[in-house]
Amino acid sequence: MLCLGVESTAHTFGCSIVDSTGKVLSDERDLYKAPEGSGIHPREASRHHMEVSTGLFRQSLQSAGVSMKDVGIVGYSAGPGLGPCLRVGAVVARTVAGFNKKPLVPVNHALGHLELGAMLTGASDPLVLLVSGGHTMILAFSHGRWRVFGETLDITAGQLLDQFGRALGFASPCGGRIEQLAVQSAGKYLQLPYIVKGNDVSFSGLLTAAIRLASGRAQVADTCYSLQETAFAMLAEAVERALSFTGKKEMMIVGGVAANKRLAQMLEAACSRQGAKLFVCPLKFAGDNGAQIAWTAIQEYQTTKKHVKMEKSFVQQSWRLDTVDVSWR
Amino acid sequence: MQPRLEKRGAEADIYLVEWSGRQAVSKVRTPKPYRHEELDATIRKQRTVHEANFMSAAKAAGVMTPFVHFVDPVNAEIIMEFVEGENVRDTMTPDLCYEMGCYAAMLHASNIIHGDLTTSNFITNKKLVLLDFGLSYYSERVEDMATDIRLIKEVFTSAHIAVKKAFPRFVEGYASVAGRKRTEKILENVKEIEQRGRYARVT
Repeated sequence: MLCLGVESTAHTFGCSIVDSTGKVLSDERDLYKAPEGSGIHPREASRHHMEVSTGLFRQSLQSAGVSMKDVGIVGYSAGPGLGPCLRVGAVVARTVAGFNKKPLVPVNHALGHLELGAMLTGASDPLVLLVSGGHTMILAFSHGRWRVFGETLDITAGQLLDQFGRALGFASPCGGRIEQLAVQSAGKYLQLPYIVKGNDVSFSGLLTAAIRLASGRAQVADTCYSLQETAFAMLAEAVERALSFTGKKEMMIVGGVAANKRLAQMLEAACSRQGAKLFVCPLKFAGDNGAQIAWTAIQEYQTTKKHVKMEKSFVQQSWRLDTVDVSWR
Repeated sequence: MQPRLEKRGAEADIYLVEWSGRQAVSKVRTPKPYRHEELDATIRKQRTVHEANFMSAAKAAGVMTPFVHFVDPVNAEIIMEFVEGENVRDTMTPDLCYEMGCYAAMLHASNIIHGDLTTSNFITNKKLVLLDFGLSYYSERVEDMATDIRLIKEVFTSAHIAVKKAFPRFVEGYASVAGRKRTEKILENVKEIEQRGRYARVT
């Protein structure tokens, strides 16, 4: 069976065809680009999604070499995310499913990251660090759900990097640019607040302090370096604590910030201290994409046959991962 | 007796040593290779000193903690009494939750915030013993006490989801020391912190 997955939670609009063995037949996406110095404007992003949706949908069928007749179900990301953006994906999914009379399966976007990551890396029972613009969570699977062992108490690691970058005049997402600048630093560490509360972290004070540093006399490269060192060490410590607590021997990292090499390096060191193997989601699928939605929808549908009627196919801007039942693990 | 590595924790390495002819524990916060050297040194030293201080302060609050023999802030090492017993993480019961609640309230009554209130930091024998005060600090803010409670609630709903009534029993224990009114006020704040979390539904 084939599944069409539609992703549109934030800046990415994506359509993808995945089969029931997890083979990604096509993965088309287009990113809304924010103007310099600003973040995602929900209205502008949703306009972008609307404009590219038809083309990407057609393209995803074409590059997979299939037609809608071959597709068994349609999955869409129903949250969490930006309302206007989510609605575009939902409208596309409803239209396609309704016209072609296919079952419609709503998918939790964060669950998509985890399930696709686990499938691609081959991790069987990992502790997961989900780190992106929308999430910073440490999770493990237990009793039918992904349970939260630690998370951010305020903003996410992605927001930390983006908001800091925007204060310097960059455009979201800023993680890549901050990483480049940090590499240019001579390794001069400027003191910044380091907040770990048990397995939880808090980034808001760090953000304020880093922006203050950057607008003062400090070199931009040194500030980027210190910001990364502090924030990622907090995450690595929280992960190490959770590894030690749970005794898990596998660790997986997924989400947009997983693309950062310094973070992966730190987690590698934390994992080796705890005798755990690190699985990094392949760069291409670390960020948002349609395949994560398609793969999760197909697993859900194959085990539970769960799908929604057109009039019940809502989106939810707030939808925590630890409230989603997972019956196929 | 030769020091023996007993456990490599997230925070420190635990060795079994001998102190004045008795079995003791040496807790060494070894440098973390992934942390910047300066940052790492500050954290290790600070947490070692905090831990030793708060282990003693907690005793005055009525909470059982290991006896501190020796502190070396430069090498981030504490030598303390060896406590026999089982880790609560592995032997969780609702009754232990009640006792943990009592302990939390006793600390909070003395304005001590534990900072890492999790089941693996409790050892149970005849009495409950609380460990790991590295993240502890003094505060009289309700918000900080609520942070402690939110943390253990998170542990209950993740690691110990199979143990029924864990959090309600913890709250009962807490209220038995702190009183109902005070407990409700703190729980109100716990809810507030949870709602500040990502994608939490505001009810």
